[in-house]
Amino acid sequence: MNRSRLITMLIVLGIAAFVLSLLIGPARIGPVASIEALLAGGNEAAMIIMREIRLPRALLAVLIGFSLGVAGAALQGLLRNPLAEPGIIGISASASLGAVLLFYTGLAGASLLALPAGALTGAALCVLVLLVISAAQASTITLILAGVALASLAGALTSLVLNLSPNPYASYEIIFWLLGSLKDRTMDHVWLVIPLMALGWAALWASSRTLDALSLGEEGASGLGANIPRARVLVVCGVALCVGAATAVSGAIGFIGLIVPHLVRPLTNRLPGQLLLPAGLGGAALLTIADILARTIIPERELNVGVVTALIGAPFFLWLVIRSRRELF
Amino acid sequence: MKQFGKRVWTGTLAAAGLLVSTGSVLSGPSVASLNVCTDQLVMLLAEPGQLKSVSNLARDPTLSSLHEKARQYSVNKGLAEEILVVKPDLVVTGTFSLHNTTGLLSRLGFEVEEFEYSQSVETIAADIRRMGRLLEQSARAEVMASRFERDLAELEPLACSRKPVALFYGARGVALGKGTLAHSAMQAAGFTNMAAERGYEGVAAFPLELLVQDPPDLIILPKTTPGAPALADEILSHPVLRKLKATVTGSFSRPASLNCGGPFTMQAIHELRALAPSLLPCRKAPGS
Repeated sequence: MNRSRLITMLIVLGIAAFVLSLLIGPARIGPVASIEALLAGGNEAAMIIMREIRLPRALLAVLIGFSLGVAGAALQGLLRNPLAEPGIIGISASASLGAVLLFYTGLAGASLLALPAGALTGAALCVLVLLVISAAQASTITLILAGVALASLAGALTSLVLNLSPNPYASYEIIFWLLGSLKDRTMDHVWLVIPLMALGWAALWASSRTLDALSLGEEGASGLGANIPRARVLVVCGVALCVGAATAVSGAIGFIGLIVPHLVRPLTNRLPGQLLLPAGLGGAALLTIADILARTIIPERELNVGVVTALIGAPFFLWLVIRSRRELF
Repeated sequence: MKQFGKRVWTGTLAAAGLLVSTGSVLSGPSVASLNVCTDQLVMLLAEPGQLKSVSNLARDPTLSSLHEKARQYSVNKGLAEEILVVKPDLVVTGTFSLHNTTGLLSRLGFEVEEFEYSQSVETIAADIRRMGRLLEQSARAEVMASRFERDLAELEPLACSRKPVALFYGARGVALGKGTLAHSAMQAAGFTNMAAERGYEGVAAFPLELLVQDPPDLIILPKTTPGAPALADEILSHPVLRKLKATVTGSFSRPASLNCGGPFTMQAIHELRALAPSLLPCRKAPGS
């Protein structure tokens, strides 16, 4: 498929999901009244609901979905590993652990800035560890297993920190940090993540030419004059910024970065750098749709959106593992 | 197999039961409490010498109205071992807690009395009397229980144009609906509980959107735990709450008295009623 047509299609899908997301909520407001309240004001209650409750939620789904999609595509390109994904290889879990450590221990006061600071640090440390492992042992499976180990360690430590908190509600929040949610976020969260994510997108975009070259293998890429160490630094920083910022406000949401690159890759020229933008747009649409499902599957009891993405993503992951066994070995 | 095991245990532990009963005191049976609600009734009714230990939650200001008084007693963490060491004549606890522990203690020959988790102001007086009988402090309990009943009966309807609508809105965005002690206290105080009106039962997630669409006259937010942040508290500072045309108070001082039923629950009812005059349906027209 023509690249610009693919991108247009994904943008249209994303906008449709975004608008639908704005129209869904426990307060029954008609579609026309909703959009009117959002854009023009009018009925005060409807305006507050649209602008302060539904808009931040829909915006965050788009921003976080985009970030996770781009981060997944970049990791798959850099590591030349079709199973690499922030959730599976432990980056999201490490980001959660970082945020939890800094926030719940009260080290940073109750400041909300503690969450992104901790999450970014956790994510960056995890990516670095994984890079060291993949440099020493290039096999696909080693990296995935190391990532799975890091993910379960980070998950266990997150639960531990929350259980030890003297705040009686902290242990309820284990599920939020392990299976994220977009419930009741505010515009403050949106403003908090936009600059971090924009930096992350820029870093990943700057690495895209080297990622393209890397599809020829490291030696081939060096032969073309690609600066691989620079690309590595860019991807580490970009993924840490994207996944760290996303996890700081929504908890760990898995599988978006895995599913989307695989879905859109057959529609592109298969160059990893060229895949970044479509993967981001697809991620934005997918997470928005998943968040709509999370609110509508059981109308009275909202699910965590991480549960929905796992329900879609885990079977997909299994299928990929079985298929890649056939191809790789 | 189970039968056999039980018989062996009963035989072995008859001796333990004998040991236990030698510890009795003149002022009534000695008692240990394993539940934050029975803790508070025991602290109010027992002679100081009677009370061997209360649960560690009794010292938690967010759960226990008598958290300061609890400092003068030793505390247990609800472990059977701790009770074995203290050897009280009587163990009191709630039906909600620690079934393994209470089962073990009964098999070891302790007298274990379980109290229903108090869900309404109507059951409080009966719980006080029952605790009084168990502790052999019936006279003290009768004074307390009948005073509570009299205070409850004397509550007059609020002087408002209509019943004010209130909502206990807690961390994580939950509301206290039908079947909670808070709901019962709210009704006794003369309010309508918005969550119960909307059909919510127990402690239930209450969508923020519904709160905005049809705000109550009064929203009562809990106090946060100082020094121990949690995301649960984020909802309490959600910008939407500041934009509502409702009285929002974060200073209701007696959440613990609505956690467990007791004489202190009456103080919570009075504190609720004291908030009424500032609410929209109860404000006096200027000049009148």
